Amino acid sequence: MQSFRRLAKPVSYALITGVLALSLHGPAARAAMVSTDQIVGAQQSQQDRSKVVALLTREDVKTALSSRGVSTADVQARVDAMTDQEVHALATKLDQMPAGGDALGVLVLVFIILLITDAMGITDIFPFVKKPARR
Amino acid sequence: MFALLALAGCASSIPQTERVLADAHAYPKPVELATVPFYPQEAYQCGPAALAMLLQVAGVDISPEQLVPQVYLPSREGSLQIEMLAAARRQGRVPYVLSPHLETLLTEVASGHPVLVLQNLGLSWYPKWHYAVVVGFNLPQGELILRSGLEARHVVPLATFERTWARGRHWAVVILPPGRLPQTAEETPYLAAVVPLERLKHWREASQSYEAALKRWPKSLAAMLGLGNSHYAQGEKCEALWAFRRAAREHPGSAAAHNNMAHVMAELGDLHNAEKAALRAVELEGDKQPIYRQTLDDIRRQLAESAPGKTPRVSCPEPAGIRRKSVAHRRADIR
Repeated sequence: MQSFRRLAKPVSYALITGVLALSLHGPAARAAMVSTDQIVGAQQSQQDRSKVVALLTREDVKTALSSRGVSTADVQARVDAMTDQEVHALATKLDQMPAGGDALGVLVLVFIILLITDAMGITDIFPFVKKPARR
Repeated sequence: MFALLALAGCASSIPQTERVLADAHAYPKPVELATVPFYPQEAYQCGPAALAMLLQVAGVDISPEQLVPQVYLPSREGSLQIEMLAAARRQGRVPYVLSPHLETLLTEVASGHPVLVLQNLGLSWYPKWHYAVVVGFNLPQGELILRSGLEARHVVPLATFERTWARGRHWAVVILPPGRLPQTAEETPYLAAVVPLERLKHWREASQSYEAALKRWPKSLAAMLGLGNSHYAQGEKCEALWAFRRAAREHPGSAAAHNNMAHVMAELGDLHNAEKAALRAVELEGDKQPIYRQTLDDIRRQLAESAPGKTPRVSCPEPAGIRRKSVAHRRADIR
């Protein structure tokens, strides 16, 4: 983050040029069609500024994904498919977010715990555990 | 802190299950979507597997292996929710996050829509995050049926499911073929879920989704403008014009509707009407939005440059049923 800050200024000029090129995507081909995003987002006045911020954040998230093992070939398309809000969320709390992975490795642990909770009548997983009447 | 809270919560309360079971007569018969395919997960790959099951149902022929480079995050040995949504968009599908209620989830399944869920199968202080697909339920038995991990048909008590699901903050998603709305979709969240498709230039699927949204919410301004914008992006200017016209007619106070209509009119050569529409946008919000003034100036410049009577003009006769008032139908021609 720190080194990113130092780089931010020179890089941002290049990026602003990029934004202008990017903002040509979609219906805004001519002077000014209003995009659906602006209508649903309904915050037009802040659009341009937040676009620059969002683009800088996108670079941040790309770096974050790369450093977590995503190949550089895949990073661009993955970040492109995210909304500005999603990019912002990832930039700020990626490591606190749940990553759905493997349930298999934990089955023994869950088995023991659920065995206990079943017997307590808190869960109802195993038919062979005598459960208190519920429902 | 959250971990402690969740731990405290998980041991006792299952309010949603109690509510649903108290109302079990709503679904007296078991429901099961047997045709949803099953992909057993590879190590750590429940995300790609679960996502592939939903995408197959949504008409995308894609395998879990193909989804791994799109969602899997190696250092976390798992897949993030945001990336699951983003990957669905990359296939031109609208991922819709459901409201966090068991009833909503059951309604979708009963409507034939499998539901992707995030569960924490472990405990809050020892999380084991896991994606599964809800494909059925049996309320008289108090059970839910999942495609999960290596099990094609994992039957779990509703109460247990609620606890594991609550630890995943009740996250549930449906992904449907383009133009098909989730049964429980709400207007603004649904449109907000469609808009990101535009960014990826999935214009066809976006316009199909806006069209479906308009069928359910005929007054939706955002859906009309989205429809117009997505048609415009595909070069379908007449269709775009109809959508913007409808928006301007039903929401006369929308400057955006008039502005976008003005653009399309100008491109179709109807500069006089374009000027009127652009002027309307400026009157409405010109002081707040410089772009409306820009549109007007642009059109006036074109008006000044074009020799009178020589403007090529394409007319777009509206198909029957688009507007109630009968209009003098013009033939599409170039004068």
